[in-house]
Amino acid sequence: MPDSGTSACPAVEFHDVTVAYGRRPVLWNIDLVINAPGLFGILGPNGAGKSTLLKAALGLVPLVGGRVTLFGRPLAEVRSRIGYVPQRETVDWDFPVNVMDVVLMGTYARLGWWRRPGAAERDRARAALERVGLVDLAGRQIGRLSGGQQQRVFLARALAQDAELYFLDEPLAGVDVRSQERIFRVLDDLRREGRLVVVVHHDLRTAADWFDGAALVDMRLVAAGPTAAVLTPENLRRTYAGHIDVLDELGRAVERGGRTA
Amino acid sequence: MNSLAAIPYNTLVVAAAVAVVGFASGVVGCFGVLRRRALAGDAAAHATLAGVVAAFVVTGRRDLPTLLVGAFVAAMASLGCLVVIRRFTRTRDDAATALVLSVSFGIGIVLLSGLSARGISGAGGLEQFLLGHTAALTATDAITLAVVSAAVVLVVWAGLKEATLVSFDPAFAAATGWPVAVIDYALVALVAAMVVVGLPAAGAVLVTALVVIPPVAARQWTDRVPTMLILAGVIGLVAAVGGVAASAAVPRLATGPTIVLVAAGLFAVSFFCAPERGWFARRRGV
Amino acid sequence: MTIDTAASMWGEFSAMHAWAIATAAVVAAGCALVGTLLVVRRMSLLGDAISHAVLPGIAVAVLAGGRPGGLLVLVGAVAAAVVTVLLVQVLRREGGLAADAGTGVVFTTLFALGVVIITAAASRIDLDPGCILYGILELVPFDTVRVAGVEMPRAFLTGAGVLAVVAVGLAVTWKEQLFTAFDSDAARAVGLPVAAVTGGLLAATALVTVASFEAVGAILVVAMLVVPAATAELLVRRLHVMALVAMLLGVVAAVLGYLAAWRFDTSAAGMIAVVLGLEYVVAAIVAPEDGVVARVAARLALGWRVTCEDTLALLWRADEAAAGVAPQPFRSPGEWAAGLWLAASGRIAREAGRWGLTAIGRAEAETVVRSHRLWEAWLGRHADLPLDHLHPPAEWIEHHLGADLRRRIEADVGAEESDPHGRSIPREP
Repeated sequence: MPDSGTSACPAVEFHDVTVAYGRRPVLWNIDLVINAPGLFGILGPNGAGKSTLLKAALGLVPLVGGRVTLFGRPLAEVRSRIGYVPQRETVDWDFPVNVMDVVLMGTYARLGWWRRPGAAERDRARAALERVGLVDLAGRQIGRLSGGQQQRVFLARALAQDAELYFLDEPLAGVDVRSQERIFRVLDDLRREGRLVVVVHHDLRTAADWFDGAALVDMRLVAAGPTAAVLTPENLRRTYAGHIDVLDELGRAVERGGRTA
Repeated sequence: MNSLAAIPYNTLVVAAAVAVVGFASGVVGCFGVLRRRALAGDAAAHATLAGVVAAFVVTGRRDLPTLLVGAFVAAMASLGCLVVIRRFTRTRDDAATALVLSVSFGIGIVLLSGLSARGISGAGGLEQFLLGHTAALTATDAITLAVVSAAVVLVVWAGLKEATLVSFDPAFAAATGWPVAVIDYALVALVAAMVVVGLPAAGAVLVTALVVIPPVAARQWTDRVPTMLILAGVIGLVAAVGGVAASAAVPRLATGPTIVLVAAGLFAVSFFCAPERGWFARRRGV
Repeated sequence: MTIDTAASMWGEFSAMHAWAIATAAVVAAGCALVGTLLVVRRMSLLGDAISHAVLPGIAVAVLAGGRPGGLLVLVGAVAAAVVTVLLVQVLRREGGLAADAGTGVVFTTLFALGVVIITAAASRIDLDPGCILYGILELVPFDTVRVAGVEMPRAFLTGAGVLAVVAVGLAVTWKEQLFTAFDSDAARAVGLPVAAVTGGLLAATALVTVASFEAVGAILVVAMLVVPAATAELLVRRLHVMALVAMLLGVVAAVLGYLAAWRFDTSAAGMIAVVLGLEYVVAAIVAPEDGVVARVAARLALGWRVTCEDTLALLWRADEAAAGVAPQPFRSPGEWAAGLWLAASGRIAREAGRWGLTAIGRAEAETVVRSHRLWEAWLGRHADLPLDHLHPPAEWIEHHLGADLRRRIEADVGAEESDPHGRSIPREP
């Protein structure tokens, strides 16, 4: 694990990545390098492909072009070094598991097949819960938590993975301010420990305060680099003024196999 | 103990086997219910009729293991059809399930009816697979069913954490390196196996109730997956044994419907009386 | 009377067959019509549930003195359907059951109840569990009533009557059904009585189910409800055309299924379901746009077009660079074939031992190169990509840009004359 303060090394590299849903491209030719350590934000309008970009890095959606390397290697070789916090909506919160059960799931990959979590795994889970301030709620069924608490459970699960590189998908959406700050502090600690935290984020105002580096994504990469350099009025206009109607029409044409109008 | 000794050995063995089958069905059904795919097993169940008849036609044999192998092949084929439909057409999942369910059942009826119209001997007994009929089970057959069921339970218990993880958060599971498609497929195959094993007891039309009702009832009582599995197993066991016993009281009555009604009764009790989630408990403001 | 005795009574085609087919057709049409709405509204499994759950309603009605296919039975069926839907909703609200689980619990329970009632009261109800599951279409013509001087099967009368009622009811409320099917929230917001519309659909489901019971039984009703509609959905997009196509498919399956069953000496209901399944498979293969054949053909067509356009562009670029093209620029069989076609269609011609563009070929080639370079310019302007990463996306997109979009992109990139590499962008030919 790189020490904090050493020079940055590329941890995530997207090479000409194109992602399609079915036959329709939704992310076009993304070239992006993210260095570790750091706290990096992926920003852009809703439906612009930010989550898709994350999922592409994690191998959750197939690429129709390009490739992603993590720490210079393909995903399959470095999975044990990657942590993931998906969006809250992806899960059925009525599922009969409690907080501890969910956090323990972060230890499963290291356990491997058939083995049950033991004392060591429980300790790791408890430590993660303490970091997010949920250790008192370890026995509560997850449907009985507030939005901020649910998000922190997911975060604790990722912490239990003890990874070098974390991907978080909208971890602060629909979360109360206190929980937001709490979560941010955990992410900041991770950065200071020398890890890389990549966050899909929905709120431009807080982005400037929190992230060292950022990428503006709107079906294609508009700009990437240090946050202040990326969040310029010109870049924001290029993103949010919406030139994606072009990409949208093209996407449909590609899906059909024909030409646009 | 004296009354127990008066019951014929065969009946005891069959009853014990039905108990194991009921237990295993309840356990396996939990994951289908938790993943909101409770009725996928129904398509497999209706297809088993065609498999049973085809096995008889192809091999000429009527012993239970042969027929059940045919049933399993048909069940897996129907689930394969569902996958193909999802992959290659615009047809939505619920329509695809209803389609596969009814057309495969139609194939089964065509085969069955064709056999009986030609007066082929031995075809008559196959009708019992529609609504269940345990009276004709031999002790050997019953033991086979029990062994398969026990094996299914063992597999589920061994892979409990994998099954729970994939059912709860498949995206996280995939991201952390688990082969989600494989585990998914294994769970589906286990349900198909239990649907087939449950055929003699409950019949093709109603066997799906054995994998749906006990888990749903068990969920009312607990918020933990291991407890839910055990409770669902027990409820399935009671429903299976109770149903078989009840149907023995009325000669013409098939076992499938009585098993379902006992299970439904247990569900009703759970629905009203469970602590915290039960109807009475919620009225009392617990 | 058993099936064997009946079958031995006629070995030749007769009016009896015609009535049986007519009954099946009428019942199939009704189911297909209702089924179209069920499928589109993703309520196929609810249709499955209702077809099972009407059994206790029928059993109780018959016990209470109703005649099969009579009014009391129809009412009993609708009541059972209502009970089903209400129970599923109650289970969801009060028990937290998901829709599929609740449906599974309710319909198996009600069906089991129905079978138990029928078996227990076997002396008073003349319904055989086998018949319930797959009907006795072959015996339908033997139970007749006299209407307007004609002896017709009672089941046909019920079926025709239900078809008429359902068709009129749905036709009158078609706009509301359509709106609710595509966006029930918006419909509710606009003030449409969504609950009533849905209730009407479910009542119609119960009616056609009961009307079909004698013909095909509880489970194969599901085939007649769902499969023609699913098939029609693969073929057409407009809802009312879908309904008509589904009804046609249902009637065709009824006729063919019955004839096939007669020929192969097996269950008519089962055969009808099998024919419905075959219709679906055929449609999945040959459907325009969505069918397997259509999609494979489209992919091949695209590959062909790309190869032809790439060849034209290659020749054009060679001219631009004033570099010669090798006498034989075609390497793969695909490129050879494309070359032959381009020559035959007058786009390229051989002169002085090399291939060159004709006027038509030049115009088309310029279109492709123009698309390529415009796209590079657009990417250079709107995306953060290094210079050497612009070519591959443009190689791909050049085949998908149309004239209108080209003009808009040109306006956007400021009518620059050259792409990011400094090469000039050809004008629109």
